[in-house]
Amino acid sequence: MSTLFVWREKLREIYAKHSTYILKALQLILGLVLFGLINVNIGFMEMASSVFCTVGLAVICTFFPMIVMVTAAAVLILVHFYSLSLPIAAVSLVIFLVMYIFYFRFTPKKAWLVLLAALAFGLKIPLVIPVVFGLMGTPVWIVPASCGVIAFYMVDFVKDSAAAFRSADAEGLFDSLMSFTRQVLTSKEMWLMVVTVVLGILVVNLIRTRAVDHAWKIASAAGAAVCVIASAAGNIALDAGISYAEIVVSAILGIAVGLVLEFLFFSVDYSRTENIQFEDDEYYYYVKAVPKVGVSVPEKEVKHITGNKPREKQDTAPEETGNTNTEEILLTRSLSKELGLDQEKGKTE
Amino acid sequence: MQYIGRTCKSVMIDKRKVRLMTRASIYEKKYGEEDIKITGYYQKDYSSINTWITLIWVTAGYLLLALLLVLAVGVDLVEGITIARLLLIAAAVLVSYLSLLIIYGIGAGSFYRKKHIRAKQRMKKYMRDLSRLEKMSQKKEIHRS
Repeated sequence: MSTLFVWREKLREIYAKHSTYILKALQLILGLVLFGLINVNIGFMEMASSVFCTVGLAVICTFFPMIVMVTAAAVLILVHFYSLSLPIAAVSLVIFLVMYIFYFRFTPKKAWLVLLAALAFGLKIPLVIPVVFGLMGTPVWIVPASCGVIAFYMVDFVKDSAAAFRSADAEGLFDSLMSFTRQVLTSKEMWLMVVTVVLGILVVNLIRTRAVDHAWKIASAAGAAVCVIASAAGNIALDAGISYAEIVVSAILGIAVGLVLEFLFFSVDYSRTENIQFEDDEYYYYVKAVPKVGVSVPEKEVKHITGNKPREKQDTAPEETGNTNTEEILLTRSLSKELGLDQEKGKTE
Repeated sequence: MQYIGRTCKSVMIDKRKVRLMTRASIYEKKYGEEDIKITGYYQKDYSSINTWITLIWVTAGYLLLALLLVLAVGVDLVEGITIARLLLIAAAVLVSYLSLLIIYGIGAGSFYRKKHIRAKQRMKKYMRDLSRLEKMSQKKEIHRS
């Protein structure tokens, strides 16, 4: 286990040193997967669904904030829908606008969570979302998660009924407008998954914030179990047509991801828990203090047995490097505090 | 940055000054422009203006949502409609609109109030850093003279 902790510390160090490049690389990968999935599933406009467009969009979005990627994805979906049928594009635009008005106006920086939720559904791992969002976020994250689910099902409906929408003539435009709207707003499967994800996030978040031992593990397992039960019960009652294998596999994957997240962001030693009680003039305090698991990375020293360099230089070099390192670490800490990296870490803990 | 805190023949860079300047420039890059806009208003004015804007947006969003619902279930609703049912639908539409306005009005008010407070705090810290920097420069000038 200690080896894992050492690896974690090494990962942290690497991240602290190259965070800009790592974040941009992750953004590029997210862009490639997102635009690739959109173009593979609903690539109705040939020009927009080419590999060049996918890669180009992903590369361009890498250099901008995440909100640009969200907007680009929405525009790409609308372009494909427009080339299939104007009414579908219009209805989708209205749905995106409603999402923007009621939520994303307030927190545009959280808009990328919609992408994550939609991507998880696209990759057939829907129940990973409640666990991840519940552990890392707040109850408000149910809104972007729900928006992601709705966006995914909207795309899925169009993918399934593309042939019918394409064959609709000018007179059938209004009919296709109504049928698509009805299909989106009255889909049992979609609303069932929205309810499941919302329930899961709330359960995970509620348990994660309790002062019980192994709260993160219990939260992940309980959230996954609630999601499986809710979706299975809903599936039976509403005959929604959700795959049980997908539910079970994604729930197990959700628990595994929960364990990884706990290891990365909340590793504490419950065996050394201290329960303290004290009082002041106004209150009695019952405090539970759980120590964090901290491992220092062993530093490798290279000894030069037969060095050609002059001895004087060898003696002074490590001292200078040490000084520089200290300065750099201090500056990095100060900067990361200013950038809010510490706060984000604290929030998650 | 290689020579921070160390003497490099004739050049000596002040570590504290570099930190303050870095912090100030990070603030300017991240929040500066927006915070100047926000703190240009009194808290009450800022929160009430934005709450009104939010209510207008919510009205537009509600109309769009209503349009979608009409498209989805409008035909079923209109079929065999009576005056009592029409009144019931109108009441439901009105109640849901008003409750949405109230919820968003209260939520937006508190959201923008907090946003103003946070921006003001950040701005205060930034100004404090700037004044520290100024004092440091003045000290240096005195030493030189």
